[in-house]
Amino acid sequence: MEGRTGDDALLLDRLRRGDPRAFEDLVIAHQHRVFGVALRMLGNRAEAEELAQEVFLRVHRAIGEFRGEAKLSTWLYAIASRLCLNRLTSGERRSVRQGEETLTRLVSCEVGPAEEMERAELETALHRAIAELSEERRIVVVLRDLEGLSYDEIATALELELGTVRSRLHRARMDLREKLERFLP
Amino acid sequence: MTCHDAREQFSALVDDALAPGERAALDAHLTTCADCRRELQRFRDTVALVRAVGPVRAPAGFVDRALEAARPVPWYRRLVRGLFLPWPVKLPIEAAAIVLVAVGVALVYRGAPELRQAARFDSVAPAVSRAPESTAPPAPGPGPAPERETDARRAQYRARELPRAPDQVQSSVKDQGVKGPAEMQDKPTVATPPAPAAQQSAPLSRDAEPQKTLERGETKEPRASVAERERGEYLRAQPAPATPTPRPDQAKRSAPAVTGLAFAPPTGVSGRLAASDPDLAVRGVSELGARLGAVENRRVDAPGGGYIVELTVSREAYAEFVRELARLGRWQPSKEPSELPAQVRVVLQITR
Repeated sequence: MEGRTGDDALLLDRLRRGDPRAFEDLVIAHQHRVFGVALRMLGNRAEAEELAQEVFLRVHRAIGEFRGEAKLSTWLYAIASRLCLNRLTSGERRSVRQGEETLTRLVSCEVGPAEEMERAELETALHRAIAELSEERRIVVVLRDLEGLSYDEIATALELELGTVRSRLHRARMDLREKLERFLP
Repeated sequence: MTCHDAREQFSALVDDALAPGERAALDAHLTTCADCRRELQRFRDTVALVRAVGPVRAPAGFVDRALEAARPVPWYRRLVRGLFLPWPVKLPIEAAAIVLVAVGVALVYRGAPELRQAARFDSVAPAVSRAPESTAPPAPGPGPAPERETDARRAQYRARELPRAPDQVQSSVKDQGVKGPAEMQDKPTVATPPAPAAQQSAPLSRDAEPQKTLERGETKEPRASVAERERGEYLRAQPAPATPTPRPDQAKRSAPAVTGLAFAPPTGVSGRLAASDPDLAVRGVSELGARLGAVENRRVDAPGGGYIVELTVSREAYAEFVRELARLGRWQPSKEPSELPAQVRVVLQITR
């Protein structure tokens, strides 16, 4: 997303001018990231899609209120994160076994059957470990290690102090290190 | 720097987020601590594992669904949502409101005849006693007499209405249009006065009938013209209470018929009977009425020649009455309600 600052500014300008195609371009450009955050936080694809739609709906309604001090993408992550955390703490959630639906393939080259089995086991363990993190630590890991936001952006999106972001991220990684101990070389 | 302090900064070190001073202190510790170096390596491996998770893709069709969700909702959908949503709350309330309104309407309709009946009984007795007081003496002779009579008739009409409560007056006026023959028949027994006052009140009350005919007939031109003529003729033909009706055979019937008309309903049939000989036709109408059991209420001379005859015919005999009328002349009804009452009041203008 960092490389898209110019595009975001142009898109934001079109959105503010009421360009009918601008909102479609916004959804196309950010759908996977918003959906990814929602899926990794909620662990349910249907619920994640519903929440991602809500994110874009709010952006559509409130685009006039966006001052442009942060990047458009950061604003989107902020809305998505807040909605996820609200939903997770509200108790109005569908019953899901977290982690089961968030599985995605690890980035790697083609491997043999034995390695494939080992990698599948690692994926399961990895996603389960992330899912088992507390919500406030999980969102920091998702935004930093999976979505690639900087500390500053995370602090802006979550409205946290920079030191809090750093501390939570460290705790989250330490938790993951313990859970993934047997997969480390 | 202790090992604990050093390991607290591993996360920031991996992200290259340490300040230069922090970084230098940590590097110094790591050069002297093999455990921390090993621990740092495992930490880096953990982060690398997490970052190896592939990106998530939104499901197919997500863009279309998101655009659809953001599309403005039409006003009628917003209205339906506003009216009925949430269903569990608003539906029972609206159903209860509908039931209440229905019950209220039913009660009003059921209560209306009773109110009408009560208003009628309350108003009849004062009408007889007050009629002479409120009625101006009839002026003999031509000129402004019809106007004065009209005013007097209105005054008496108001006098009859005054004793009633305002709501009763309203319901009574409204209900006159739906008054049935049974109600009409019970009026003479109450309204027929034995005193001379009755001589005045009875013809005056009889005027209510043609006046209502006029009011109702104003909506259509032909109907209005016949009713207008009826009314005008009646006013001219009624100079004073003592003036007898010219036809002796009708005079015999006029007294009960007149009282019966005092509260006659405005519904009825009127029309023109064009005959080559109006005198012959009027006799034929009288005979026809007598044969069918009809009551000839009154008969007056029409201003342009001919007669105006008013009869009350039973509903059963009405069809035959009309058929026979066609033999006497060319019958052109100007007003004929679709639903006839049990006793049909027929006003004929017999012309050449």
